[in-house]
Amino acid sequence: MEALISLVLRNNKIFRRDKTQVFFSLLSVIIVIVLYAVFLQKMQVDAIEQLTEATPELITMVNEWLVAGLLSMIAVSTTLGAYGIAVKDQESKVQADFLTAPLSRATIQLSYVLNAFIIGCIFSFIALLGCEIFIVTTGGKILSFGDFIQVLSILFLSVLLASVFNLFLSLFVSTQNAFSTLGTIVGTLLGFLCGVYVPLGALPSFAQHIIMYFPISHTTLLLRNAFMESSIANVFDGVPVSYVEDYKMNYGIVYELNGHILSSTTSLIVIVCTIVVLSLASMILFKRKYN
Amino acid sequence: MTFAIKVENLCKQYGEQQAVKGISFTVEQGTLFAFLGENGAGKSTTIEILCTLLKKSSGQVTINGFTLDASNDNADIRKSIGVVFQQSLLDERLTVRENILHRGKTYGLSKAQLTDNYQFVSTYLHLEDIEEKKYGTLSGGQKRRADIARALIHRPSILFLDEPTTGLDPQTRQFVWQAIKQLQLETNMTVFLTTHYMEEAAVAHQVTVLKQGKIVAQGTPDALKTKYAYDSMALVFQNAQEGVKFLEENAISYTENQGIYTIRLTSTLQALPLLKKAEPLIASFEVIKGSMDDVFLHIMAEEEVA
Repeated sequence: MEALISLVLRNNKIFRRDKTQVFFSLLSVIIVIVLYAVFLQKMQVDAIEQLTEATPELITMVNEWLVAGLLSMIAVSTTLGAYGIAVKDQESKVQADFLTAPLSRATIQLSYVLNAFIIGCIFSFIALLGCEIFIVTTGGKILSFGDFIQVLSILFLSVLLASVFNLFLSLFVSTQNAFSTLGTIVGTLLGFLCGVYVPLGALPSFAQHIIMYFPISHTTLLLRNAFMESSIANVFDGVPVSYVEDYKMNYGIVYELNGHILSSTTSLIVIVCTIVVLSLASMILFKRKYN
Repeated sequence: MTFAIKVENLCKQYGEQQAVKGISFTVEQGTLFAFLGENGAGKSTTIEILCTLLKKSSGQVTINGFTLDASNDNADIRKSIGVVFQQSLLDERLTVRENILHRGKTYGLSKAQLTDNYQFVSTYLHLEDIEEKKYGTLSGGQKRRADIARALIHRPSILFLDEPTTGLDPQTRQFVWQAIKQLQLETNMTVFLTTHYMEEAAVAHQVTVLKQGKIVAQGTPDALKTKYAYDSMALVFQNAQEGVKFLEENAISYTENQGIYTIRLTSTLQALPLLKKAEPLIASFEVIKGSMDDVFLHIMAEEEVA
């Protein structure tokens, strides 16, 4: 146990001291912020103005939409970055040095997973604080205690999902070159697959389906619900329900799959099942890789 | 006599290729054991098997009284061995102290024990001036010091070193080598090293030469020298024809290369009467003491023919 903790602390220090690695794992998030500042916000505000009167609350609601997407992406990009250490250790034979100590491969691997999870939690939490400051300074209201706890729980789940998801991917990779390619692919696709770069409604229906089946996008969905619930009620006060439903579907706040509106419970089930399945798959893959 | 390492009929197969072909040897406790061989002779494979990093194909290995692969993780063996690898494997962004302590904690030592051990290795390898520096900023020699300190942090009874001085400048090589020897003498640790520097092998207690996965010679450096190396004398004559005549008249066998006549001696003293006799004919001479280099070259050449 002490050995495991020591390994996790070591991984953690290495990640935090590698400023380039930290920067690159935040790159996709930076891109979102730029896209948002340039056009995503305006586009959305313009669209909603046609339904209802523009109020400061509308801007807040759209900001909350951004924040939810950003937080779900940060969980994935930072945990993936953390697995870079695992790949580097393997390629540079550092793992051989660990293996001359009484450690099992499984313990070493577990230390990478725990580190990824901790890194994801730290960065998500910092990002959440940053987002709250952003929302408050742009005229929005701070999350209520209940909502804050709810958001924290979703973030926790989303970091867990991201840790397992990236563990699974990283097991296919054994060189740093391949890993940086993986990072580029995940970083690019993620913004689309979570419906952050482009709103869901702007995509053709097959792409919408892909997003809805992509488990990580369900964390985005849950976060949007948690952040935007009260704003939506305020902004769309007096607007016909069908318009509101349209907005929610177009911007990925609810999913309608094969004629059914998916409930939050469904999203939770999707997330939990994915965590379980990917954990098992990773264990099998890990055993195959080293036996 | 107690053995630190006992290897019997060790084999390692990679697919079709046999890297180690049934080697047997013993390493006595508290001695310095040198494993010699060309690149690809199977040295690294053998050391990796002994360090529990690679599974053997067949054979019997006992390390510090524990049978290799008797348990799944070889924890008993791993606790009693330290390994210095060819490459530097500590973390560049951590300081030397952080590196050593983080890895030291993987051995399940108590806090007090770890602090004690750190004190020992730090004093021993003069880490005072580098312990707070990031490993990545160190020079090659400083890195090696840290590497050895890391390998010793749990105070193992056997230290494995895989070509510890390869790629170092001569001064650093000297330092590393001194540190290893001193350590072995003072702590009575067993040191097992692979090298291709013959002068390093010369100070070992026991040398084993490996070639194409087989042991082709083993013994003390002296025994090997007696068997495979010989002293010789090189002569340059004022007049080559007269010189050759002299050698032939005295029934002395020789080899000639660009006017230099080399004579094999049974000892360097044998040169004296010969030099006296041939004095008027000689332009210059050199008496050459047999070295470990000769041992290595001769063993390799001999086995080539066989």
